[in-house]
Amino acid sequence: MTASDYLDLFIKALLLAGIYAAMAVGMTVIYGVMKIVNLAHAGFLMLGAYFAYELYERFHIDPVLGAVLALPAFFLFGIGVHAVLIRWLPKSDTPTLASLLLMFGFWLVLQNLGYLIWGNEESSILMPRTFASLHIGEITIPKVSLIVFGAAVISLIVLQIIFNRSWFGRAMRSLIQNPYAAQIVGVDDRRTSRLSFGLGTAFAGFAGALLSMLYSFNPDFGRPFLLRSFVIIVLGGLESVSGVALGAVVLALLETFSVQVLPASYQPAISFALLVLVLLVMPKGIAGLLQRKRRVA
Amino acid sequence: MKKVLCSVGTYRHCGVARALLVIGFLAFLGGSKPATAADDAITIGIVMPTTGREAKPGQYQKEGVELAIKQLNDQGGIFVREKGKKLPIKEIFYDNGSDSAKAAALVERVMSSDHVTAVIGGYSTALAEAESVMPDRYQTPWLTGGAAATSIYSRGYKYIFGCLSPIALLGSTTAEFLGGLVDQGKLKKGLKVALVVENTDHGVDYVNGVQDWISKHSGYFTVVLSEKFELGGTDFSGLLQKVKTAKADIFLSDAHLQDYITMQRQYLQAGLHHQVISYGARGPEADARKALGAGTDYILAALWWSDKLPYPQVQKFVADYKAMFNRGPDSWYAATAYDAMRILAQSIEAAGSTNGSKIRDALAKAQLKEALIPGGVLKFGSNGQAGYPFLVTQNQPGDKVEIVYPKDAATGSAVAPIP
Repeated sequence: MTASDYLDLFIKALLLAGIYAAMAVGMTVIYGVMKIVNLAHAGFLMLGAYFAYELYERFHIDPVLGAVLALPAFFLFGIGVHAVLIRWLPKSDTPTLASLLLMFGFWLVLQNLGYLIWGNEESSILMPRTFASLHIGEITIPKVSLIVFGAAVISLIVLQIIFNRSWFGRAMRSLIQNPYAAQIVGVDDRRTSRLSFGLGTAFAGFAGALLSMLYSFNPDFGRPFLLRSFVIIVLGGLESVSGVALGAVVLALLETFSVQVLPASYQPAISFALLVLVLLVMPKGIAGLLQRKRRVA
Repeated sequence: MKKVLCSVGTYRHCGVARALLVIGFLAFLGGSKPATAADDAITIGIVMPTTGREAKPGQYQKEGVELAIKQLNDQGGIFVREKGKKLPIKEIFYDNGSDSAKAAALVERVMSSDHVTAVIGGYSTALAEAESVMPDRYQTPWLTGGAAATSIYSRGYKYIFGCLSPIALLGSTTAEFLGGLVDQGKLKKGLKVALVVENTDHGVDYVNGVQDWISKHSGYFTVVLSEKFELGGTDFSGLLQKVKTAKADIFLSDAHLQDYITMQRQYLQAGLHHQVISYGARGPEADARKALGAGTDYILAALWWSDKLPYPQVQKFVADYKAMFNRGPDSWYAATAYDAMRILAQSIEAAGSTNGSKIRDALAKAQLKEALIPGGVLKFGSNGQAGYPFLVTQNQPGDKVEIVYPKDAATGSAVAPIP
């Protein structure tokens, strides 16, 4: 391989990291605040994809705008799901079996609702830019991947700003750090949890809408992304937005470059070997490791 | 369950969680219908994926079987000599959700609890492999119109029958067709081939078939890359970079529908171009053409069936299928499943009984004349798998699909190299 091949591959890995970050960030928000491993995340991604698809098919709304519209729509949907299901779950500092089973059950319900509404067709959004690419020398950059990458970076920045600058963000961070102390100083944990679940769902819908530009989808859509989202948030540190970005980059680089030296069929094994390794060696992820180093320094 | 859900903390509505779990679990089991075998009917179990990764082909296969059942029932059913009358066919359907473990469990259930006379299942190879261990255990014939990996039929099972020709033949037919293009001067001799196949027995057989032909016909092609990928992949950019680096002239893949769509999309986005592209037995599917538009043009596919085969029974099947489902059959899926049901019905009648062993013996000797497949006769080899020639089709601009091989069935000529 030439240097430009490696550069091409590096850019593709970064674009892939954008996709991974977009799909994992919603899950991180929900886990961080509520300690719920949101297995229904795949269902939210699927609904996000169909949301963009319906807007495109019925009203010719560009999927990028569809993704933006998905944010408020899925925020409200998340608030609704929280009101009907999530708020009845017992509070816990760690993920509970009840929450895992509930979210798994809810995913299955969403999937089957999807089959009722859209059937088992492979749906897709085909636009003039679907196959359009930018060519810089020998490097080829698919435009849709670039758009998804840009949207993912913007969403991470916005989320980081919400986390650092807003009252709601500070309330979320305090609940992530110490839920009991947060309540003592006046943080309304119920309200913050509700809004966090809405926010996490909003970003899942947003990601699903973006992914609809890259993949065909059916009501089972999201399953492979769910597993990778786990790897990313464990790798990045289960409660950190910047950690998600870092985790997504590491996973994407590893998956993309490992294929050059190992058989491509080992790609999933590499992801899961990484998951096991991180859980054993640095259970707080890369973000935790960096924090520890900062403290030592 | 109550303890688990309600023991942590106090909350009022743990019932919501329980109810949802029950609903989800029932949904997961996949639309089961309570039914048992009855003396006044022949019950046929159909276990297919109508949800999940293989949903679409699974649905088409189910439709093919259901069309055959309807036609047989319209004629009064199947004559069973030991009952002295015609018995109608009753279908018991289970959706395996494209999950191997569930597929095997459902085949076991339909054989052991529903006591069906026979089962039609096994789309696709990965699911069929899981299902194929059950028929001999319950001495219930199992037929598939959707699994062709030779490994399934090489384990010595006596109750499994496959209506698809082997994948290795699919691979060698593709290579033979390409060799023919070399002989015609459309392609140059000595072209480099990249083989990128799914990591299943299906993919392994395909590679073996291609390489077998290449090794017997030296000088035609050289394989410069042979790689496997995981089913249901989402990112093939690294793999496609390898293809690009290999500087191959011909790109041959063996993939199932979803992977075909994802890979071809990323192939086009990466700006790759080869003189020939094939995804094994995928190519003309409507979902792929909808997802990729003109991006599927010129893709070659080696298929077990095409609606353009010049047989009267094929035209009748297409018309009947359209009448029943308000659309034409998409690719080959429904046709082979239709033939599976017909050869089963013929074998039940020949056995004169609904006894599994007798039907198995009849299936082993059966010959379905006026079958839809190339050659028009369906029969099974000693291992239970059918063997008949493949067709090669090419997607051409304007949503056209032409048979380009063999010569006597061709409806058009192949465009190669791809412009």
